Amino acid sequence: MRAVWRAARAAIRRRRLQTGVIGVVLMFTTATIVMALALLEASSAPFDRAFEQQRGAHAVVAFDNGLVSDEQLAATSGLPGVEAAGPFGQVVVETPAGNELAVPGFTGGRATLVGRASPEGSIDEPDLWKGRWATAPGEVVLNVLPPYEGGGMPEREPSPIVIPGGPTLTIVGYASSLSATADGWVSPEQMAALGPTATQMLYRFDDSATAAEVDAGVAAVTAGLPDGSTLAVQSYLSVKEAVVSGTGQFMPFLVTFGLLGLVVAILIVANVISGAVVSGFRHIGVLKAIGFTPRQVVGVYLLMVSLPAVVGAVLGTVIGHLGSRPLLVTAFRGVGLGVVEINPWVDGAAVLGMPLLVMLAALVPALRAHRLPAAQAISAGSTPRAGRGRSAQRWLSGTRLPRSVSLGLGLPLVRPGRTLLTMAAVVLGVMTVTFATGLVTSVAAYAEISERTGSVQVYAHPANPEAAEAMDSEEVRSTLAALPGADNVLTESYVPLSVVGYTQGLDIEFIRGDTTGMGYDEQLVGGRWIEAPGEVVLSSKALDQLGRKVGDRITLELAGGRTEVTVVGRIMGGELETGYADWALLAQITPGHEPKADWITYQVRLEPGTDVGGYVAAAAAAEPGIRPQANSGVGQYTVTVISLSTTLTLVLGTVAALGVFNTVVLTTRERRRDLGMLKSIGMTPRQVVVMMVTSMGALGVVGGIAGLLLGVLLHRQVVPIMGEASQIELPVALLHIWEPPTLALLAVAGVAIAVLGAYLPARSASRLTIAEVLHNE
Amino acid sequence: MTSEDSTSEVVVRLDGVRKEYGDTVALDGVTLEITAGEAVAVMGPSGCGKSTLLNMVAGLDRPTAGSITVNGENLGELNETGLALFRRHRIGMIFQFFNLLDDLPALDNVALAAQLTGVRAGQARRRALELLEELGIADRRNVYPAALSGGERQRVAVARALMNRPALLLADEPTGALDSASGEQVMDLLLDLHQIGQTLLIVTHDPHLATRCASRVVEFADGRVAGERSLERSA
Repeated sequence: MRAVWRAARAAIRRRRLQTGVIGVVLMFTTATIVMALALLEASSAPFDRAFEQQRGAHAVVAFDNGLVSDEQLAATSGLPGVEAAGPFGQVVVETPAGNELAVPGFTGGRATLVGRASPEGSIDEPDLWKGRWATAPGEVVLNVLPPYEGGGMPEREPSPIVIPGGPTLTIVGYASSLSATADGWVSPEQMAALGPTATQMLYRFDDSATAAEVDAGVAAVTAGLPDGSTLAVQSYLSVKEAVVSGTGQFMPFLVTFGLLGLVVAILIVANVISGAVVSGFRHIGVLKAIGFTPRQVVGVYLLMVSLPAVVGAVLGTVIGHLGSRPLLVTAFRGVGLGVVEINPWVDGAAVLGMPLLVMLAALVPALRAHRLPAAQAISAGSTPRAGRGRSAQRWLSGTRLPRSVSLGLGLPLVRPGRTLLTMAAVVLGVMTVTFATGLVTSVAAYAEISERTGSVQVYAHPANPEAAEAMDSEEVRSTLAALPGADNVLTESYVPLSVVGYTQGLDIEFIRGDTTGMGYDEQLVGGRWIEAPGEVVLSSKALDQLGRKVGDRITLELAGGRTEVTVVGRIMGGELETGYADWALLAQITPGHEPKADWITYQVRLEPGTDVGGYVAAAAAAEPGIRPQANSGVGQYTVTVISLSTTLTLVLGTVAALGVFNTVVLTTRERRRDLGMLKSIGMTPRQVVVMMVTSMGALGVVGGIAGLLLGVLLHRQVVPIMGEASQIELPVALLHIWEPPTLALLAVAGVAIAVLGAYLPARSASRLTIAEVLHNE
Repeated sequence: MTSEDSTSEVVVRLDGVRKEYGDTVALDGVTLEITAGEAVAVMGPSGCGKSTLLNMVAGLDRPTAGSITVNGENLGELNETGLALFRRHRIGMIFQFFNLLDDLPALDNVALAAQLTGVRAGQARRRALELLEELGIADRRNVYPAALSGGERQRVAVARALMNRPALLLADEPTGALDSASGEQVMDLLLDLHQIGQTLLIVTHDPHLATRCASRVVEFADGRVAGERSLERSA
């Protein structure tokens, strides 16, 4: 055993570079695997996990505090199969918008405040991600999602919230509640001072899997209470549907990236380790020749690769664990899915599994060496097998290519096994980069189409319902259109309608104004845009639910009036819009019916070159009753996908480049004699670099093209799945995002991965001391 | 070119060349001149510094002190690329273990030296074939090194060394890995080359090779020139 240990230690000392490469590769791959497993684990039923983590409320019920006492409500917790929290005082106040307070993500306007002494409790424990809980009068905690990684909160302190006719509340913390129990929380004392207008109770039921069970639970707790005392009921199932249709969109993406990370990492490790053992065959032969038993030889090699592998795996687990935290914050906490802790099994699997994988990868070639006679092992590697790419090499040597280039092109043919593994590393690297780039482009395009950022630069909403009632929307539209820089302004309002013959309603956005160039038609996935008041376009989801198609006629009903319309187009739809119609249709359905004034939005298309900020300021000054804002169009979802793609692409690209680097290091080692000979007959250092880089560049070109095709295919598979997960039919344009320059650039990425991985070892090869190399050989 | 009309031209000049590897002194102030057409054999026991001397002259290694001029080029003034170009155009090298590329057949191994200078493949192969014919192994041109005998391999190596018409041919134990018959063939070859005016510097510990092929023998001991003698060639 001592001899094995000594031989392994000596081999490690002699091959410092190779040992270092194994350690670094293992470190990166283990870190990647930890991140991949953490993502995969957290992506499994994220809502349920976060909901249980926060002890979410199955039902949030608001009661009329004039009809029911706190004691009566507290008694509801004693019912069998029911767990309750509360009663909490509740009041609706008018607050400024988040952009006025310097609190991004806070909608403002009418906000529900709840009086709670602590975020902890048996039900609904909001994730207090910044600051502290409101414990004294004059303090408030806002229900806001954490900013995305790197987005950060604004530098300036948020302004206090001045309640009209009430106190001024200082923001002391931010929390996010998956149960959406409030827009903000104050201390019970502050709530008493504000004068609660309702009482909130939070319930968890033993049976809560279906809407009927939740309804039954609510019925049970409200059964003994006075009639009319229940003001509002919010089921967790509706919250879940909204969250899942939002965050569900990137779960397939996370799973795909997680799996890619695993596959790339395992392939690279197999490549690096088997390469290290194969390149040591000669050494194995020498060990056998001096009396090592085959088993001892296998032991030496397993030890030689395992020692740096264990060090790399331990470091990689630590790095992966630390690196996964911001990734998980971005992916989950940032969209309200709570704090995701990395499960200890992930760390355990990585720190134990990776060295095991290394042992397995080393065992296969080591067992081959175990069987080889010493003389054959000594000659292995120095004497190539006949026929390996020789005809191709002969052909290459006869071409007009510079000899260093044709020699480089021939190198990969000599070791087809290693070439295939290296190619696999490049293919996976390029596929990942292609897939991620495509995904980011599709997500950005989706955001642009759904938010119409290319067409609408400014949105404006009424400041509050009172202001909305007081203004004439057509006058506001004229005022906005008259401001310098405005190209087109239209009004849009959401109105819930019924469809005759169907139980479910339909939410239609009614549009007043010229829709040309406002980006609506880009949302079409079938049919055409509306041209007359008797026409509607509906989302695919709505059409599916109604069982109708483009060309069908449906009867819309509103406030007793009804009219028949033709479905002329199908749009991709989103979370909110289920269809569009002309404003004049409202009068056809129910003459004289006007949409709710505070649901009206104004949308402004600016002339090219207009300063958006300047227009927003001018609009706010011209119409004090509205709150204009720039249409950034970049939602949390987009930001999440882009930042995750960038991080994961960088990690996987680095791992792929390391695999290539390792191959070149090994090739360089194996071909030291040839390189020395070539230098002795006049090959310049530059020609050596060109030869070695060409050998990898050739793999890069082939791997780049293959990776590109696979990346495009993967993108075409995953994007529709993402659409399906969020129940959105995506326009074909979101799949056809590939432009020739982008494709060329991505193919170049393959060459870049290979060339970057090859350059450093190639440069060191060019500096080999010829005399030493030739003398040693 | 004959040996008679080029005797005055100095091809190699070493002036106080010293080479140290850590605490070991491999060459200790060696001063030596080789004129055009000369065939010089450097002899001495193992470790006396003769291979180091060859490496210095070939520009494969740099001296710790002193200067080396080959064919008018001061090697100390050349960077790595300059040394590579120097080796490519000015010298040819023959090694004890041939150092052929296993993946290329004999013809392409020989042509390689010219192709590195930018000569097109067809032209390089024609010249390589001429050389192989001159050396009597043209029929083995498509055979890979592994299938050639030791003597054939060394002849391929000689052809490669001559490919760019070098001013100086360096040979490091050229018969050291050959059986006696093959060794004799290589000696004949070197002798022929010398007789047509090729300047040779041969490092060997084989007195037979030295007396067969060299016009002058330089004895080395402990990194120094221990003696010199001119030989009457037995051609």
